[in-house]
Amino acid sequence: MNDLIVLIARALRTSLLPLLLATFVQSAVCAPGAPSSAAEGIYASAPPRLLQIRTLLADAGRQTSIGSGFLVSADGLAVTNYHVISQAALEPKTYRLEYRGADGSHGQLSLIGVDVANDLAIVQLDKRDAPFFTFDKAAMEGAMPKGERLYSMGNPLDLGFTIVEGTYNGLVEHSYNERVHFTGALNPGMSGGPAVTADGRVVGVNVATRRGGQLVSFLVPARFAEALLERVRGRAAAPSELRGEIGRQLAAWQSSLYKSFADQGFRPASLGPYRAPETSASWFNCWAQTNADATPKPRASINSTTCTSDTGLYVASDLNTGSIQINHSYVKSIDLNQFQLASLLTNLSQPRVVGGGPFRKWYTPERCHEDFVSAAVTPAHPPLRAIWCAQAYREFDGLYNVVLVAVSQDDGREALVSRLNMPAIGYEDAIALGKRFLEAVQVTR
Amino acid sequence: MIWVEILSRHREVTARFRIAASEARIGRGYDNDVIVDDPYVAANHLRIFRDEAGQWITEDTGSANGTFIDGVRTRQSRFAIDGKQLIRIGQTLVRIREANYAIDPERLAPSDRPALPVALAAGLAATVLGLSALTIWLGQTSEPRASSYLTALLGIIGALLVWTGLWALLSRIFSGRSRFLRNLLIALAGILALTVYNEFARYCAFAINWPSGIIYQYAAAWTVLAAICFLHLREIGPARLWLKGAIVTTVLATAIAAQTLQQSEAFSDFGRQNTTRLLMPPALRVVPVKQEDNFFRDIAGLKARLDADRGKAAAGKAGR
Repeated sequence: MNDLIVLIARALRTSLLPLLLATFVQSAVCAPGAPSSAAEGIYASAPPRLLQIRTLLADAGRQTSIGSGFLVSADGLAVTNYHVISQAALEPKTYRLEYRGADGSHGQLSLIGVDVANDLAIVQLDKRDAPFFTFDKAAMEGAMPKGERLYSMGNPLDLGFTIVEGTYNGLVEHSYNERVHFTGALNPGMSGGPAVTADGRVVGVNVATRRGGQLVSFLVPARFAEALLERVRGRAAAPSELRGEIGRQLAAWQSSLYKSFADQGFRPASLGPYRAPETSASWFNCWAQTNADATPKPRASINSTTCTSDTGLYVASDLNTGSIQINHSYVKSIDLNQFQLASLLTNLSQPRVVGGGPFRKWYTPERCHEDFVSAAVTPAHPPLRAIWCAQAYREFDGLYNVVLVAVSQDDGREALVSRLNMPAIGYEDAIALGKRFLEAVQVTR
Repeated sequence: MIWVEILSRHREVTARFRIAASEARIGRGYDNDVIVDDPYVAANHLRIFRDEAGQWITEDTGSANGTFIDGVRTRQSRFAIDGKQLIRIGQTLVRIREANYAIDPERLAPSDRPALPVALAAGLAATVLGLSALTIWLGQTSEPRASSYLTALLGIIGALLVWTGLWALLSRIFSGRSRFLRNLLIALAGILALTVYNEFARYCAFAINWPSGIIYQYAAAWTVLAAICFLHLREIGPARLWLKGAIVTTVLATAIAAQTLQQSEAFSDFGRQNTTRLLMPPALRVVPVKQEDNFFRDIAGLKARLDADRGKAAAGKAGR
């Protein structure tokens, strides 16, 4: 029971839902227009190529987490999610991997390669010449029609192998990572399982579900799995220092993320007399908040906008990082005097470096610098009180969590509090972005 | 004529005996002129008499525990008295003075003694409470509530009275006088100093961008506390001020060192300075606004510290 809770807790935390897929065989395509019999056929042929992947505590021999996976080559290579095997990848001395086939076979697994950015991993089974899944051609070319029926397989909640019917809904909009929107019930334990077409070809890999949504699930497009497979084919085992490899992949992915963020640039958004920098990137979710309807009646009005990128990246069970956030609050005094307004602004402007996970495991202490700054001595650029706080990642060279807070200092009765959170960023990138951010804070009176 | 005085351990006279004869005996027995109820005193312990030269002499008449002069380690058997010596027999202090012993001149009484300290205490109390109320008012950003003032101000008054009462009690026990007003003045001055320091440090943190005053606020608080403790101790008695000063300084240094250690450990445990970054009305700014490039140059300098932190963390991990 305990294991089950661990499994559920883990899947919820990461927002990832593993789905176990039972493979179908070609012959499964027998009754067009009768999807349930297609599912039957797919499920019947799946057992030899469908796996449950268990991460075991090496000393205790018991599982600490469970996901799914599927065979993709005759020489025993299988695809799963990175988050299914991350413990074994990061702590190979503490954890080991084991598989259980849907057909009852079981044995050891060795890790061959990972793709952290796309949450994929390739593992090697100790059995050869088993049947395997092939990738769907149309899906690889992105030519899959919306509404196509998909079958996702896995071992939800360790209850046994299941097949879930759902629909392909194209790629997720406003997403930096390419993810297939799959409308179907993915559950914890199915991570790493395949989602296949009615003729049994893999379209994607089960990866996550949306907390609070209904049947809103996500797949990693199959082309990333195939690319990773091509990259690691012929490798006997994973590089010995997989931690370093994971750090390099993380750094490379973050660097391209922030490059793309910088390339998209900032566009001005009006907040009272201020022009605040908002991102032009489409992969941000933006929301507005106000305290206008608060009770008791607020003594200063606070209207804010918050934009968050959906670029959170699973690195370890206790480290999910990479979600950029831009927040602006326009504060205008109703009946507060200047000192009282300053107290309110003090509360709003505390720099909280956002880094998930236990501090001492992942980060160095935070170092801060604050000063009065002006981008230019013109009426359009208000003087700012700027606070910069940064912490380094202990394990990953060249990555830092940075937060920049700027409070406009041009008027004692109103102010703009702007905040830019840049988790897992290179220091020079952070400085360049911070500079552009400060320059874009403007005022028109 | 001489006077024999019995002193308490605090060097205060508890009994005085007038000796008109040219010789006197001191001891536990009832055949003495001065009887001392101390089991460590011999039945006949001291004899005091005038020698041929007219000098008063004290002589031990064969006690087992001996006779000592305070501050001298060696046992005395016979010595001339000078009126200042404290003679220790058993566990009792005795002082012997002639009738012509020179005393301090009469001290002049202050004309209207209580008026000034009372006014001063009232003024200080009003300043302290007024400053506290002002701080609360300026920090209030939600609905104004009378209770937020009342609770804080009553707390200050209560703490002040308890603190002063405690010192008055100690003073009463050890020096016989409570000196409540003077102890109250000391405590009020301490609170006022601390309040003024805090507000000044907050102002400096914003206006001249100097946060150290806030970061090391605890050191200032301990120093003020040590200073008022020293003043309270001085009120109890002016004797051995250097010892009192040394004790207070030692406690102060220990407290500051302990809190510094605790803060640095908390910093490495939680990775965060336990300080608020303060804002004040923009009009209070004193330092000029920095050019953006200079600001970011300072920030670039932080990278070296972060990387050093990372190096230290890696070294620590490898060392384990």
